[in-house]
Amino acid sequence: MSRYRIDRSDLAFAREFLADPIGYHSPGLQRVLNLMRGSGVAGAGEIPFKYVLVVEDRHGRWRLGRLPLRRGAPVELVEGVVYTDLIAAERDIFSRRWKDLTGDDLDQALSQP
Amino acid sequence: MLPLVAYTDKLSVAPGEALSVMVSSFGARQYRADLRRIIQGDTNPQGPGYKDQPVALDLGGSRAAVAKGFYPGSCVIIPGQGMLGDLRAFTLALAMRPSLIDGRESSLIALPGFARIGIDAAGCVFAEAFGTRLVISAAVALETWHIVSFSASAEGGLTLAVTCERDAASADIAPSLATATVQPSPCRADEVLIAATRGGDGRPAGFFDGKIDRPALFATDLSHEAVRRLLADFERLSRQRSLRAAWDFSQRMTTQVICDISPFHLDGRIHNAPARAMTGWQWKGQELDWKKRPDLYSAIHFHSTDVYDTGWEVDFTLTLPEDLPSGVYALRLVPDGVEEDAYYCVFALRPPRDRVTGNTVAFLFPTCSYLAYANHRLGMDVPGTEIGMGRVVEMDRHHMFLQTHPGIGLSVYEVHDDGSGVFHSSRLRPILDLQPKVKSFLGGFGSNIWQFNADTHVLGWLDAIGQGYDVITDEDLHAEGLRLLSRYNVVITGTHPEYHTRPMIEALQGFTDRGGRLMYLGGNGFYWVVSFNEDMPGIMECRRSEAGIRPWEPGHGQFHHAFTGEYGGLWRRNGRPPNHLCGVGMTSQGFDISEPYMLTPDAAEPRAAFIFEGLDCGAKIGDFGLAGGGAAGLEVDRADPAQGTPAHALVLASSVRHTDIYLMTPEDLLDPTPEWSGTQAEIIRADLTFFETEGGGAVFSTGSIAWAGSMAWNGYQNEIAAITTNVLRRFDDPRRFEMPRDRQS
Ligand SMILES: [Fe+2]
Repeated sequence: MSRYRIDRSDLAFAREFLADPIGYHSPGLQRVLNLMRGSGVAGAGEIPFKYVLVVEDRHGRWRLGRLPLRRGAPVELVEGVVYTDLIAAERDIFSRRWKDLTGDDLDQALSQP
Repeated sequence: MLPLVAYTDKLSVAPGEALSVMVSSFGARQYRADLRRIIQGDTNPQGPGYKDQPVALDLGGSRAAVAKGFYPGSCVIIPGQGMLGDLRAFTLALAMRPSLIDGRESSLIALPGFARIGIDAAGCVFAEAFGTRLVISAAVALETWHIVSFSASAEGGLTLAVTCERDAASADIAPSLATATVQPSPCRADEVLIAATRGGDGRPAGFFDGKIDRPALFATDLSHEAVRRLLADFERLSRQRSLRAAWDFSQRMTTQVICDISPFHLDGRIHNAPARAMTGWQWKGQELDWKKRPDLYSAIHFHSTDVYDTGWEVDFTLTLPEDLPSGVYALRLVPDGVEEDAYYCVFALRPPRDRVTGNTVAFLFPTCSYLAYANHRLGMDVPGTEIGMGRVVEMDRHHMFLQTHPGIGLSVYEVHDDGSGVFHSSRLRPILDLQPKVKSFLGGFGSNIWQFNADTHVLGWLDAIGQGYDVITDEDLHAEGLRLLSRYNVVITGTHPEYHTRPMIEALQGFTDRGGRLMYLGGNGFYWVVSFNEDMPGIMECRRSEAGIRPWEPGHGQFHHAFTGEYGGLWRRNGRPPNHLCGVGMTSQGFDISEPYMLTPDAAEPRAAFIFEGLDCGAKIGDFGLAGGGAAGLEVDRADPAQGTPAHALVLASSVRHTDIYLMTPEDLLDPTPEWSGTQAEIIRADLTFFETEGGGAVFSTGSIAWAGSMAWNGYQNEIAAITTNVLRRFDDPRRFEMPRDRQS
């Protein structure tokens, strides 16, 4: 469980991620990712699933899925979300997690001064 | 998902020998089988392309696909042998330590159809006999020993009693009681089950998660206090005239046999390999090695998730042709004509047992490491895996199947449903990730393949350079040791040969000591101690004690393997650090991207000239690849004289940075401070290492799992493949390697 909370002061790290999702990251971005990708936040606001990429066609096509925390529970596919590029998938899932964790739309937050 | 899954009765078979195939339908109506030699399993369009070769062998036509299902859960089964039918008055008693209350009813001990003690869905102990059920209203405490007794008098007085044996409790703690009076009737049970009962379908059911110690059956009604005294003293217990059976789990712990210490010898057997040699009711830290005080290790830890032999009926048996060359093969099972849905039962066709093939190069097919990772669920069960991957978890079709069917059995990377570590992994079940084409979690950005499928990059390279080779497996090496290795000049490992038994390590060390040549084309190699069990073929034990990057610990006092008594954990802590054998040892891991190596001054040493012969590489090598885009990555090893790297070893090249996902292994992270990460700490690197041995042998180690993913880059046309080929050609030349005079170790 993470103690860290994402807020507007992390927008610079969101920009950094969207520019280059895979590979070297600043410590600030790594901290944001650790929260998004790890075991979640404690208490209220806990997200009972993890976003995963369900392979439809290896190296070509992925569906967005929600993997529940409980072993053996079925993966739920998110209707209408298909990726054909892993980098695009990373960006989209980052934005979804930003929304889940802050309540804010990332695109809107980034366009505000 | 997967319309059918299957397994074979062996992972290693010799020409002329039989191989049986067990198939279960998960939707398929029928299937056809053919035999294929696997050359290269990675389907990444940036890679060299999937390649297998059909073998002309008639395996019959279409077969019906039959649904067979999974039946996990461990217990003890004791045939009654006619010694239960006369029971009128009786007492059932045991010590138990529950580890999971999950809304299921579980059985502690059962004489099916006659009497039973269990824990109900709410966590309360209950007992049943003569159509009457007694319940203790207070729920049991998890991870705490309890003594439970259930007695019936000849007059029909039933008493269920439970004491909670907290360490601080005085000797005369009052039991919780439930009583009733019934009309007794004769016992029709002809067996005893411990940690389960019989289900409606006749299979064991109602599995208990937790420890049970010294269950006993008396042919009289005893008070709870008398039971507690007797259970605490096995010597007195065995002389008790009313004793019908008392099972001492500390006897014959390395086998499947369960011993009754009563004169009736109602012995039984374990089912689905629960954990033996576990600390019992009387263990308070007096001794940490079960071999010295087996009496303290009288518990078995049962899990509803244990699996040994899936036990499916055989679909068909084939005999491998005498003239089929050694290699990695798969029985391809195509359901309902859909090739895309084919299941591949991969196995090694080893060389004949009684004659050499003439091949002087062997690929060591790492079945121990495949077993360790068999059906692993890291990206699914462990949230932190995604942090280590540095990218979103990909779930391939077999992962979706695993999610729906956890009963297929876990890997030693998982915990059981009760949170305790999985010590055992068996090959007598389908191993979904031992297939070509499948993607994984940890293979890095790019191909994202792991273990077997990643190892096909090595097989593909051998094919591309036209190198003849035999395939031998870890199990063959364990059984035949240096007798088998001495057929070869060169042994080539896979990308991730992490798990080894002592006979395997000793054979490989004996091989290089005596002039053999070892090409270790991987990372995190020779890391964990594992054991096989002579009484249970096909299952492997791993207890991850003290250090190492590990998903769980075995629990206090439980660091010694039950199968062999060996101290579990890292080979580095058992006098056989990987650095002795291959010059490098595990230093860090990260599953996002990989890096090139930079040549060092050692690369210019004349001793290493053959490695770079004909190559026009700059200072940087391997700045490309299918496993994270570089040759150094995923799991990386460093040379370290303090851990036994020979003093004369040459470190030819090293990676010089990694992302901050790469952190220090716990065994080296004695004092955690924030600078132990890939962008900061020099110790986090892969060292490309070469050294000669006194016996005229030599060792070449990449210290990186990602190496083979670079070999396969650009159709095997690149300097990483060329370096590897140079090494193989010289290593396969029987001319002795001489120890350097100036840098003798
Ligand atoms: Fe590993």
